[in-house]
Amino acid sequence: MDILTLNNCTIKFGGLTAVDSLNANVQENELVGLIGPNGAGKTTIFNIITGVYAPTEGDVLFNGESIIKYKPYQVTHKGIARTFQNIRLCQSLSVKDNVKVSYNNSCKSKLLSSIFQLKGYHKEEKEIDDEIHELLKMFDLSVVADENAKNLPYGDQRKLEIVRALATKPKLLLLDEPAAGMNPSEKRNLMQLIEKVKDKFNISILLVEHDMNVVMGICERIYVLEYGKKIAEGKAEEIQKDPKVIEAYLGEPPK
Amino acid sequence: MKNTKILLLISIAVIFGINMFSGSINSYYYQIIIYCGINIVLATSLNLINGYTGQFSLGHAGFMAIGAYVSAALSTYLAPTLLSVLGDGVIGRAIWFIAVLTIGGAGAALAGIIVGVPSLRLKGDYLAITTLGFSEIIRVVIQNLNVIGASQGFRGLYVYDNGVRSLEMVPELSNVTFRFYDIPKYTDFFWAFLVAAIIIFGITNLMKSTYGRGFIAVKDDEIAAEAMGINTTRFKVTAFIIGAFFAGVAGGLYSHFLQYINPEDFNFLRSIEIVAMVILGGMGSTLGVVIAAIVLTILPELLRDVQQYRMIIYALLLIVMMLLRPQGLFGMKIDRKKKKISPLDKSDAVLNDKK
Repeated sequence: MDILTLNNCTIKFGGLTAVDSLNANVQENELVGLIGPNGAGKTTIFNIITGVYAPTEGDVLFNGESIIKYKPYQVTHKGIARTFQNIRLCQSLSVKDNVKVSYNNSCKSKLLSSIFQLKGYHKEEKEIDDEIHELLKMFDLSVVADENAKNLPYGDQRKLEIVRALATKPKLLLLDEPAAGMNPSEKRNLMQLIEKVKDKFNISILLVEHDMNVVMGICERIYVLEYGKKIAEGKAEEIQKDPKVIEAYLGEPPK
Repeated sequence: MKNTKILLLISIAVIFGINMFSGSINSYYYQIIIYCGINIVLATSLNLINGYTGQFSLGHAGFMAIGAYVSAALSTYLAPTLLSVLGDGVIGRAIWFIAVLTIGGAGAALAGIIVGVPSLRLKGDYLAITTLGFSEIIRVVIQNLNVIGASQGFRGLYVYDNGVRSLEMVPELSNVTFRFYDIPKYTDFFWAFLVAAIIIFGITNLMKSTYGRGFIAVKDDEIAAEAMGINTTRFKVTAFIIGAFFAGVAGGLYSHFLQYINPEDFNFLRSIEIVAMVILGGMGSTLGVVIAAIVLTILPELLRDVQQYRMIIYALLLIVMMLLRPQGLFGMKIDRKKKKISPLDKSDAVLNDKK
């Protein structure tokens, strides 16, 4: 069953059509890649799905429900979490607290309960702490749990973004260039981790990535975009042979 | 840390204990101590808005004015009724005082909603200007409201036996008996520091909690906070309401201590003074802000001996402080390196603003 469906999505910024009548879908527990040259509209698609932009035309369905009317935080409540291409961690918070922010919506202790530490507050805080600890352990981040997030090495910051997104308990995870800036061994680790996350949490993943090793290695299905248009779709081997894709990346073959 | 409640109770007991001896303190020093308490309430409540949530507000004096005037007006206009119902005993006074402080705070909080909901869509300097403008509007409105003394200030109410109420003595009624209801002097060490203890306790607990991290997330990165499921608008408005409420309560404490309030007490210099406390103490550090509130209350008094150079020294100290410790006394470290913004990032930000 489709968890996410993009129906004829178009978005225009003034005269520029960033995404042009795109049809795409992600199935349950599927890992789908989204590739394309710079400026193809990949991040824009993420922004459409997460409610940052409303599409000019078309619709986005999540579990059969149209989500284009929702604000970003409501989309997150529905079960879509994302990471950012440029890291957006909370600079003044520790690693642990960065993850804690994601529990903000699901925790039952709201304003008054938190101020007066009413019944159930301490229990819930402890549960959240334990869960965060588990998550960080899974990503080998528990040693730096109390470290300030901005002091982490780049690769760990990227991982932390994924942990933070997972902490919102999503059904669909959108990863925007998770391997950017990582070295080859970090990339290999990341690939394993992404597959592990997918199976362990039983979620679907939509991945934007420039590193072809990563994309071809783990994605079950790949969409290729160019100038906002879908030019190819299919398994890694099919994509690699597709003349349109080769042209988009390398230019026209010499005659 | 389950003992924060016990800690609060202990501190209340200590405050109550110290209050017993307040009679023996020189009244000049006593006044300064009370001002310290009131300024702690003002600064910590503004710290929730400016420091923790990162919304630069310059309107705190406006909220304070609303609290001061609402509670003072209630205390005087309703005095005959309140006296007959509650009596003049200790408990009666306490109920009376709590009631007027709460209503004064609620009035300020309401103003916080009214000004907050539309203006919190703005950021940085724009929000600062809007809140500054708002607080000036409050002041000008008060200056033109005759029932609370307009620009003459508000001291109390003459109630004549024939039912006439007036802020001034009425010469034509010189032969009618009257009673003057002033703003009762209810604020003492206990009340001022009780409110201070409550707000320190409340904000410390709030910021430790999972829910409270939301405020800091909003300050650090709104887009990320939103993506993690945080309704940033609601958090900003909540911070504004709580901050405004306590500013209103502080205003109530102020009017019930001085027994005379004037619109000029709540001009924008007052707002600046509170902002200075927050910045000196360190944005987002309750302890730092409390200390800064005390220091900035006592400092001008210490400098009275060098009267004519007072403001110069005061200003110099602030400048030196900002040069040496831009993050404030106890503030979180500020990364002075400029964050690199990639062109993509920029366009992202611009487009986000449009929505």
